[in-house]
Amino acid sequence: MHLLNSLQSKIQGITHLLTIYKASLILMVGLALIYTFQGYYPEFIWFFSNAFPPVIAGAAVVSAGLSLEKYWYKVRERFSMVWLCFTFGLIFWFVGEAVWMGYTLVWGVEIPYPSVADAFWLVGYVPFFIALYFYVKIFGSALSKKTLAISIAATAILSLLISITLITPILGAEEDLLTLIVDFAYPLLDIALFSVSLLGLLIFLNGKLGKSWMLINAGILSDVAADILFSYTTAQGIYYTGHLLELLYHFGYLSFLLAFYVHTKEL
Amino acid sequence: MSKTKNLFRRALLEAVDDGLLTLGESGRKAIYFHLQSLYSLKREDIPEHLEAFVESLRKIFGLGAEVIEKAVIKSLYNKLGLKYEEKENVSFLAYLKEAEQNAEREG
Repeated sequence: MHLLNSLQSKIQGITHLLTIYKASLILMVGLALIYTFQGYYPEFIWFFSNAFPPVIAGAAVVSAGLSLEKYWYKVRERFSMVWLCFTFGLIFWFVGEAVWMGYTLVWGVEIPYPSVADAFWLVGYVPFFIALYFYVKIFGSALSKKTLAISIAATAILSLLISITLITPILGAEEDLLTLIVDFAYPLLDIALFSVSLLGLLIFLNGKLGKSWMLINAGILSDVAADILFSYTTAQGIYYTGHLLELLYHFGYLSFLLAFYVHTKEL
Repeated sequence: MSKTKNLFRRALLEAVDDGLLTLGESGRKAIYFHLQSLYSLKREDIPEHLEAFVESLRKIFGLGAEVIEKAVIKSLYNKLGLKYEEKENVSFLAYLKEAEQNAEREG
């Protein structure tokens, strides 16, 4: 009877997750189609590009909040802090998206760069990094020297790739110091997140939690690619509202949303 | 069940409680819930199904399971008044067996 119940529970869990994955895939394809054919509806894509980010970021906040509700016990407990920090990180990013939408759709002003939205996005990296660090630290002793070497090598390759892509165009754009700092801050903070999240993935890869960590890594890598392209296109003056690179930001939030949801299902 | 075995069983269950606290109280609750719902393994049955327990932890945490296993072993050795020494290539089950033998010898 117990075995039958556990089998039923496993099947229900798998079916439920498959439905969520299918819905996410449909959303991704839908978003890609909306952006691909934007030439037919320029006014709508301008609205969509500004209005959709707070929606998807808000959904990710809800997902993180539900995880926090499940895993919260008390402030002094590290695992509780992990989920509090994940949630705070996403709340900051959501506020950043909302401020950006406010500039464009509510106040209708030209967005300065860097703006208040950038401040929220950059601050959001801090709790998100702490969350990843605390989580990985709990299981840190499971990491072998080989695993650490793989992680360091991957982080070094990513750093090199970012440097090669961004240094020349950004430095050549003759921007003021603050703009230069913000241009480099995003990719650098992305690398910091990636260096820790990769360790998490290597620890949990062969377990059920590996799915959640794969999605966290996918979200961070999506943001890495988006931030490189954003910094590059902004420095070159070729970024426009509704640029295809925005898809990467949307996919990033979707990955985080899924990662936290999957985590609560797998543990 | 002999008194020594009973004491060992109780110490082991408490050590498992302590080891699973690696993830905090909420994490421990979540692990027990998953062990029961997905692997039909209740907390009280763990001492009789240690292989299933280890297997389930590895299925959930991958390499991370080692950290929880080590925390369980350390707590168990501490409860039994044994000296814990980390050895290479010694499995969780081997540590438990050694602890049980030592406890029987001294009990």
